[in-house]
Amino acid sequence: MAVRSRTDTFVLVVDPIQCDGYGHCAELAPELVHLDEWGYPILVTEPTPLSARAVRESARWAVRDCPRRALRIERHAGTPVSTRPRRRTE
Amino acid sequence: MIGLTSPYLWYTTRATGLVTLALLTGMVCLGVLVANRAGGERVGRFELAQVHRAVSAITVTFLAIHVVTTVADSFVATGPLSIVVPLTSPYRRVAVGLGALALDLLGAVWLSSLLQARLSYSAWRAIHWLGWLCYPAALIHAVSAGTDARHGVGLAVVVASLASVAGAALWRVTARPDRAAGRTALSPPRRRGLRRPEDAPRVESGSRTRG
Repeated sequence: MAVRSRTDTFVLVVDPIQCDGYGHCAELAPELVHLDEWGYPILVTEPTPLSARAVRESARWAVRDCPRRALRIERHAGTPVSTRPRRRTE
Repeated sequence: MIGLTSPYLWYTTRATGLVTLALLTGMVCLGVLVANRAGGERVGRFELAQVHRAVSAITVTFLAIHVVTTVADSFVATGPLSIVVPLTSPYRRVAVGLGALALDLLGAVWLSSLLQARLSYSAWRAIHWLGWLCYPAALIHAVSAGTDARHGVGLAVVVASLASVAGAALWRVTARPDRAAGRTALSPPRRRGLRRPEDAPRVESGSRTRG
């Protein structure tokens, strides 16, 4: 995404086939990853604003250090312009 | 000024060779710790992975010094070619050749890890597995080409290295974590389209929890 707006968000996504439950992501990004009882990640599905710097850094670490390369960050555009409250024009 | 004819390059070659062997041992053992999912309580699993990575970087550095000083040194005649192509050294042909083999294999592992983002996981893993061939080659090279490996500190390093990596390999095979069960440490990466009973989904469809 070329243009970053303040309302842009991201979610951490796991490839469940590739994941083997190493659990590094839960240590690196505890804000976004919890482990189920078998050690597989349960990810926070709620989008995180890109402006949350610390969380974004954690997510990046988790993606980079996943031993199975099973994680990726998906960016989503923030609130589309059309749904924003229009500025009144006289 | 260290001249090319002085013995110091030769001493550096010998010393860094021994240090590289010790570092290589640490690298392999740490890799096994990561692969067998050690840690998680007192030490983080990701921390072990980071230490594995850091030790690998230091190993490559020492190996580079070992190789460069060997080429630069004129005390023993090993040409620049014999560093990478096995069995081309006029001095201790087989022993130096094993070192060249180990260097090539470690180079492949190192490059594949640097380019990991561009490789598929199975390709990276297959190349990373070459480390298990690199280590014995390096160890035999240390004993056969190393002039210090048969007594004193050198012998102690070799014996300790052999014992630790043999132990690590044994632990890697026997103590594989449950969720990777069914695939041994020596099994190649899973073939696409090949289904075996243990590949069946662990969780019955519909119910999230078992037992």
